[in-house]
Amino acid sequence: MADITLRVNGAACTGSPEARKTLADFLRDDLNLTGTHLGCEHGVCGACTVIVDGRAVRSCLMLAVQAAGSEVTTIEGLAPDGGLGTVQQAMWDSHSFQCGFCTPGMVMQAVAFLGDHPDADERQIREALSGNICRCTGYQSIIDGVLLAAERSASPDPAAPPNASPDPAPPNREH
Amino acid sequence: MAAIAAERYTGANIKRSEDPRILTGAGRYVDDIKLPGMLHAAFVRSPLAHALVLSIDVSAARALPGVVAVLTGAELEEITVPGPDALMALIGGEGPTPEFTLLATDKVRFAGDPVALVIAESRYVAEDGCELVEVEYEDLPPVTHASFALDPSSPPLFANLGDNIARPHTRSEFGDVSATFADADRVMDFRISVHRHQNVPMEGRGCVASYDTGPGVMTVHAATQSVHVTKIAVAMRLGMEQDKVRVVAGDIGGSFGLKIGASREELAVAAASRALGRPVKWVEDRGENLTASGQAREESFDVRAAVSNDGDLLGLDVKMIIDTGAYPGLGVTVPAIVEEMLPGPYKLAALGFESTAVITNKATYVAYRGPWASETFLRERILDVIAKDLGLDPLEIRLRNVAPRTDPPAVMITGRPLPGVTTRESLERIAQLVDFPAFRRRQAEARERGRYLGIGMATFIEAAPGPRSPEGPSGPLGIESMRLRLEEDGIVALFTGQMPHGQSHQTTLAQIAADEFGVPFEQVRVVVGDTDVVPFGLTGGSRSATMTGGVALHGARQLKAKVLDFASHLMEASVRDLQITDGRVWVRGDPASAIGVGEVARRAASGQFGSGVDASLEVEAAFDGGEGGWSGGSHCAIVEVDVETGIVTVERYVVAEDCGALINPAIVEGQIRGGIAQGIGAVLLERSAYDEDGNCQSATFMDYLVPTACDIPRIEIEHLETVALDADVNFRGVGEGGMIVAPPTVVNAIEDALSPFGVRIYEQHLPPARILELIAAMSAD
Repeated sequence: MADITLRVNGAACTGSPEARKTLADFLRDDLNLTGTHLGCEHGVCGACTVIVDGRAVRSCLMLAVQAAGSEVTTIEGLAPDGGLGTVQQAMWDSHSFQCGFCTPGMVMQAVAFLGDHPDADERQIREALSGNICRCTGYQSIIDGVLLAAERSASPDPAAPPNASPDPAPPNREH
Repeated sequence: MAAIAAERYTGANIKRSEDPRILTGAGRYVDDIKLPGMLHAAFVRSPLAHALVLSIDVSAARALPGVVAVLTGAELEEITVPGPDALMALIGGEGPTPEFTLLATDKVRFAGDPVALVIAESRYVAEDGCELVEVEYEDLPPVTHASFALDPSSPPLFANLGDNIARPHTRSEFGDVSATFADADRVMDFRISVHRHQNVPMEGRGCVASYDTGPGVMTVHAATQSVHVTKIAVAMRLGMEQDKVRVVAGDIGGSFGLKIGASREELAVAAASRALGRPVKWVEDRGENLTASGQAREESFDVRAAVSNDGDLLGLDVKMIIDTGAYPGLGVTVPAIVEEMLPGPYKLAALGFESTAVITNKATYVAYRGPWASETFLRERILDVIAKDLGLDPLEIRLRNVAPRTDPPAVMITGRPLPGVTTRESLERIAQLVDFPAFRRRQAEARERGRYLGIGMATFIEAAPGPRSPEGPSGPLGIESMRLRLEEDGIVALFTGQMPHGQSHQTTLAQIAADEFGVPFEQVRVVVGDTDVVPFGLTGGSRSATMTGGVALHGARQLKAKVLDFASHLMEASVRDLQITDGRVWVRGDPASAIGVGEVARRAASGQFGSGVDASLEVEAAFDGGEGGWSGGSHCAIVEVDVETGIVTVERYVVAEDCGALINPAIVEGQIRGGIAQGIGAVLLERSAYDEDGNCQSATFMDYLVPTACDIPRIEIEHLETVALDADVNFRGVGEGGMIVAPPTVVNAIEDALSPFGVRIYEQHLPPARILELIAAMSAD
């Protein structure tokens, strides 16, 4: 056990996870942030993707103690006002998902990627999301959602749904 | 009240009501359940495919701090009721039933077979405990191939059967098989094989079982396609009265046929919770999912085809072997569906069909999206081979053989009529969309530059729910029930036994009911996932569009009639003069009379009306599927094969689909695309692989490859004008078609690409190495 302090979704928190506890299990079990899902626990499926210090990481491959001192954003922290961020809103509008299990990881990956590549085209988006497995959709609706989010971010539409808030810029991009 | 909305939700791309929670991490999946005092389970699993269990030493595991209990197979048998697989008992499997224990007792039958259950304060400690369980095995010869299972000298997996035959050989004949073959211009032979692959939902199996010792009630939080089937399975195996078992479910992370009922592990966890008097959670990890949750397909077909020189497919004679794995369940029921569906939409006049289901040391056969789909694969595959041999093109041979749309409808030689089937229309439409002549020109040019493009088409029909038959309801599993109630806040609540796991029922059923009853979409609440409040039902078999869509429509109509009847007393107007729109009841022509439906419900609940007035604004509705009907469609793929690397790229994929009236086009298209992605994956990537010793070689996502966003092209979908068969309900299921027809579509395209090499393909799994082998085999000749 080691005491760690980190910031999760903008709030300071402390914990004493076992050294072997993954960041994913720490978020889910210790912090009750169950939006982060575990799909394979060996770093392939991407369902557990969260943003740590501005970068998308697989929280199943990172130990909680490694996140000490870091800034972590999970799906619950994307739109703290209870609404939807730009990517989330665009994915709703695009009928992106079905069962929803891959969704948090897919959204976090897309948010991190668009943050760094706001002008990405479809091929780049497909490559960026190719480490996130969705078994339901055939991906097209997800890609359409990310493209729509990119388009809306490029030219903010005053008529956009009122509950769509800009995605928070991942902090500490320079890590 | 001036503007009363008249728009219809049904048929529109209404945004899903599931999405706000799913997109914000507020979905509630089984692994998100935390109960006070909850323990965690992990299974000790066999590393061997076939072995006797000589001894199990659990003492070190029991001594580990944090471990609460360790249960062996023998101990679980003492606290449960022996019996067959509950699902098989329900759907009536005939023939001998293998012994069926929750955990292996004397013998393990596949690598991954559970032998002990460790329950601890955390999953981490439970897995530590598993490491400390010592099991002594004695190897038995593994039965890893169907051919060995058919050999009487193979060691029987189940002593009480005496051999490895799960369902003995049967033969049926439809039409005059021998005369058809005797008179045919030519008889062609094929051996078609389909490999083992599997569902792989992103969320694996799992449950939290919580036994309350006081009232003796078991509550199971499940990931299931039917809370009621799970409840029946738990009650049977635990020897409990059904009313003492409650199964609840929240969001479910996909299934594709895997999560029907309750698996051996889930039943073991429920038994453990009862024994300990504490909640126990088990969620399988991906290794367990890939090795032990179940696998599908792995079938072989020896096919003889009677063909005329003009390209008429006159008769088929098919011998099917299905490998049902180690604990045979649903797999033994598949050959009968394959047999019935083999003629497809074609005017096949004779069919001989025989089948045998075998038992092997592999994970159990489970249902996977279109379990009978191999019938479409073999039929659509051999049609292309026949066409090539006769110099016909793939469209021509299909159009030549497709049954005409007549009144009364043509009947499949196996017995089912084909009303409203639009195969001809969908074939012609994809040919137009793709422009075959233009493609052939491009293909020829590409070949001159050493690039190998190919085009493939295939067509299918699916009984979703199937045509009405004189014997009874058109829907599989009989009638569908729903309870509907107008709540005092104006909400129209639909209680359905459907258990959505991606199908978007909370949106689609609300669309239908909102239109029929006359309330805004947001005012309909679809209640699922609790055996205490929802009627029996099951999500599967592409049945919910018709069956549940239909009962939502008729139920909303009945509830509306009841509300209007009551409102006529309340408003002192004739029912004839009343209508409900936009959530308000009003006297036709007098918008000022409108009152909200919630107010009507509150007045009904006030008790101020006498016994002569029916003030219960609730109905129990049932629907038998109406006229039913078929879903179907034709798909076309254009692929490029890199003959140096064997890599296949799907360049274009076009669909002309007829699933009747669309409830929500975006949701329909999502179902189609998702199925196609799984079909493309099955051909190019996915295989549940075993070595000669029965070791599973595909236990991680690095070995079992599922398609990524880079593997699946944009999929173009066109919906055909459908033939309305029923007065009200013409929604047809669309869950399985993509997965049924994508494999032959893609394989046909690959064979076309490789036609300069003379390659003929009789199998479904074509990873790069296999493509190179096929080319090399022809080059060597």
